[in-house]
Amino acid sequence: MTTVIMRTTARIVVPIVLVVAFSLFLQGHNLPGGGFIGGVLTVAAFALVYVAYNLDYLESGVLGREVEREASIGQHRSVAAYRRLFMLGLVVILLSAFAGVVFGQPVLSQSFVHLHLPLFGDIELASALVFDIGIFCVVVGGLLTVFSVVSAE
Amino acid sequence: MTELPAIAPVLVALSTGIFTLLARSWPRLQRVVVVAGTLGYAGVVGALSWDVVFASDGARIVYQVGGWRAPFGITLVADGLSVFMLAMTAVVAVYAAVFSVRFIDEHNQQVYYYPLFQFLLLGATGAFLTGDLFNLFVWFEVMLMTSYVFVAFYGNAIHTASAMRYLVLNIVGSALMLLGVGGLYATTGTLNMADMARMLAAGGVAMRPVVGVSALVFVTFALKAGLVPFQFWVPGAYRAAPLPVVAMFVGVTKKVGIYAIIRLYFTVFGTASVPTDVPGVAGDTPLAFLAPVLLVMAVASIVVGGFGALGRDSLEGLFAYSSIGQIGFIAVPIGIAAATASETLRKTGLLAGLIFALHHALTKGLLFLATGVIRDTAGTTQLSELGGLGERSPGFASVFLVGSLSLVGIPPLAGFFGKFLVFDTAGRQFATQTAGGFWAVTGASCLLAVLLVGALLTILYSTRAWMGAVWGDQTEPVQTSTVDAGEVAILATLSVIVVAVGVGFEPVYEFAEAAAESALDTDGYVDAVLGGADE
Repeated sequence: MTTVIMRTTARIVVPIVLVVAFSLFLQGHNLPGGGFIGGVLTVAAFALVYVAYNLDYLESGVLGREVEREASIGQHRSVAAYRRLFMLGLVVILLSAFAGVVFGQPVLSQSFVHLHLPLFGDIELASALVFDIGIFCVVVGGLLTVFSVVSAE
Repeated sequence: MTELPAIAPVLVALSTGIFTLLARSWPRLQRVVVVAGTLGYAGVVGALSWDVVFASDGARIVYQVGGWRAPFGITLVADGLSVFMLAMTAVVAVYAAVFSVRFIDEHNQQVYYYPLFQFLLLGATGAFLTGDLFNLFVWFEVMLMTSYVFVAFYGNAIHTASAMRYLVLNIVGSALMLLGVGGLYATTGTLNMADMARMLAAGGVAMRPVVGVSALVFVTFALKAGLVPFQFWVPGAYRAAPLPVVAMFVGVTKKVGIYAIIRLYFTVFGTASVPTDVPGVAGDTPLAFLAPVLLVMAVASIVVGGFGALGRDSLEGLFAYSSIGQIGFIAVPIGIAAATASETLRKTGLLAGLIFALHHALTKGLLFLATGVIRDTAGTTQLSELGGLGERSPGFASVFLVGSLSLVGIPPLAGFFGKFLVFDTAGRQFATQTAGGFWAVTGASCLLAVLLVGALLTILYSTRAWMGAVWGDQTEPVQTSTVDAGEVAILATLSVIVVAVGVGFEPVYEFAEAAAESALDTDGYVDAVLGGADE
């Protein structure tokens, strides 16, 4: 699959996909979108990179690291990072669920504030975004782990 | 927040699941976390039971998650029925978790065993507590996702094949349930169980589609419970999954199906009335439709389970079929409760079903864990290759004896009261039917006869397991083995509980009675959930 056409397309499409994913993620708490959709789109962008280049490209091409050959895909540095992202997401979700209790509200209660910033104007800052970040991490971490491990086999 | 105890079990299970995941690189810490978390779970469930049942006499604790009021948000309701199921779950979960620490080998413990275990517990807990039909579906899925992994856990050909069958069957079941829930939403316009109950009781909702569509949901519940003709997944899945998890499957997952039937039909549909002109259906409530179906399935389960268990050649197979039969024993009194018009008999029926469910969870949990000890000891559970375990380890033999006797129903063990109440219900049903004409009498006496045959079969296959595994000469695998004293000690305490439930039956009975009452008290349920909401 690593044809010139594929790689060129990936170069153009991946940034667009990531931007769209990020905007979907941000508006998620009260418009269509959210952590799950944003996460899945992000995974799609990563998948495209993997298909066009290979599993080690993120490490060697983007981060400029040396890639060591591990005994199994489970120990691969990216895969380990995805697993950590997954766990981080779960912790964020748990904390945001408990945040309401600290303020004497029911579990999973959410709130929001409107901020007035120069240049940006009125910005709505919702606590649901924290929960969404957790979901985003879980989806990206979980799906990419599965994706990398399965594609390596 | 005074309502916080209602959601505490969910939070504890979720947190423990996440913490065990974080502690994955430190096996020792992970084991400590899982045992402490499960004990903590049992603690909050105990406190919740005390609050709901014993301290305040049948109160309900309602938790509106996220501060969204019912029927708009998701509501968690801890009433007698829910906490009875939770208490049962907690006991089984503690034993399964502690037993896993010794039973599952080091490498397999590393492979996400404990996080999955906690999420299985989380799914069941959510299903018992939720007051929202769609949310029930979601918790079912949480439970199923983890159980798929567990069935495929050991990853050999036989496990993968079982997992595949289990997966396909349950995906079809989930699709049906989703269709059913969608249908109920389309007809009633709400997913909140209390709101649905209120609307059905008030009339003005087309009842025929509700009853028809609920059949789809019922199929999924029956599939979870493993009632005939949806029992196919049971033997394969029980043979494939790790044995402590099988104890959870028998004690918890199956009971979720039973619980859901009771909750949906008795609490939600109980006060609705529907015009009937179907032959064989007497009465004008949705329960009248449930009764014949459930009774036929229950009777078939008893027969299939009993005879199936006689023919198995491995202990897991035998106990798996046995648990199909035992689910039949749970379903018979519930079916009678659905069939009868008398309030007291309805309550007695549910009570009997719940007590039997508790007995089954404890006893079968004990026996499956005991099978685990045998697997650990002799490396096999084939009856033909076992024998003489009694000589090898008298301690283990006495644990196994308690389990078998309770399964058969010898007083004063837990199983005696379970079976006694089931027969009591069937007997009373028979007494009310004597004036009801030829067919009613025949039906009721057939039911009694099947129960008797079922009880007899239980004695036969329990004896077979006992003779095959514990008595006789020591076979080669048994002779060369060492019985793990720690595992036996864990089981010994569980068998003490089985005895204690029978000896100190009074509070257990009260607990189950409170559960049955709260299951039948639709108005109380609706008031508790929607009370204060603008109607």
